[in-house]
Amino acid sequence: MKGHQSHPIQKAMWQVPALLFLAALIAVGVNHWRKDGIPLIGDWSAEARFSDAAGQSLVIDLDQARRLHEIQEAVFVDARSESLYRDGHIKGALNIPWQEVDRYFVEVMDRLDSEKAIITYCDGETCELSHELALFLREMGFENVRVLVNGWTVWKDAGLPVDASG
Amino acid sequence: MKAMEKKKTSKTGRGVFHALRIFLGAVFLYASYDKILHPEVFAQAVYNYQILPDAAVNLVSLVLPWLELLLGLCLIFNFWLPGAILTGTVLLAIFMAALAFNQIRGLDIYCGCFSTSTEEGPADLWTVARDLAFFLIAVYLAVFVFFIRTAGVRKKDSTAAETIAE
Repeated sequence: MKGHQSHPIQKAMWQVPALLFLAALIAVGVNHWRKDGIPLIGDWSAEARFSDAAGQSLVIDLDQARRLHEIQEAVFVDARSESLYRDGHIKGALNIPWQEVDRYFVEVMDRLDSEKAIITYCDGETCELSHELALFLREMGFENVRVLVNGWTVWKDAGLPVDASG
Repeated sequence: MKAMEKKKTSKTGRGVFHALRIFLGAVFLYASYDKILHPEVFAQAVYNYQILPDAAVNLVSLVLPWLELLLGLCLIFNFWLPGAILTGTVLLAIFMAALAFNQIRGLDIYCGCFSTSTEEGPADLWTVARDLAFFLIAVYLAVFVFFIRTAGVRKKDSTAAETIAE
């Protein structure tokens, strides 16, 4: 035992940064050597986030979506809950709440047209439901599936046709 | 007789301290494991919190699990306790603030606390309460290590000092 024992708070003053430094060192080192490492600074833009397994972006912009809606060449699918869907949705959109995707998918399956584009949407820049749903529909064999990021808000704000149903 | 009683209580106090220290250490170890295995999924969980700037998301999600692992080991093996306990307390406070903040603004996200799997279910009030419990344990450990133990040493109670000091 040392004659002079420093106070625990003094010890913490160097141990805390030492722990942080060690953790950072190990983290960056291990991440560098492992196969499934991630970039230290990630790309979290919408284009990069809403992409398929191959890294291809699924994002469709509002203009394109509006055009497809006008010529009725796209089926819109609302990934939000049924109650939000009822309160208001893109005109003609189907509802497949992601939380119960299996049940709702079976219900509307017949109305999904594999010849047309399918555009999924939810609400909010970061809402992942539309993306998950898009990937699910891809897996179900629909090839032309796109995501309208922050769909409900941008569509509504642009004054495009909407619908509400009881 | 009185002195013996006093010694007995401080012995129980120490027993509780060591039990809680090992418990919290195990919690941190357990929490780090899955995140270290799945950096990409954990980064998504961190991103979903919508608190950090995009550029910091990956770095934090890489370093945090290793920090938790180091803290867990320090707590369990009684190493660098002042630093580990202080870091742990601050971390748990930050987690709690992040969870509560997103509860209040109604963000429906996965906790990413112990598992990167979405099977853990979305974060809710119970998640905040659980974190609060861990936080209180950490605060107790901090009080013990920074104040109670040092008070014992300062009193120059030689027996206490010997048993308490590392």
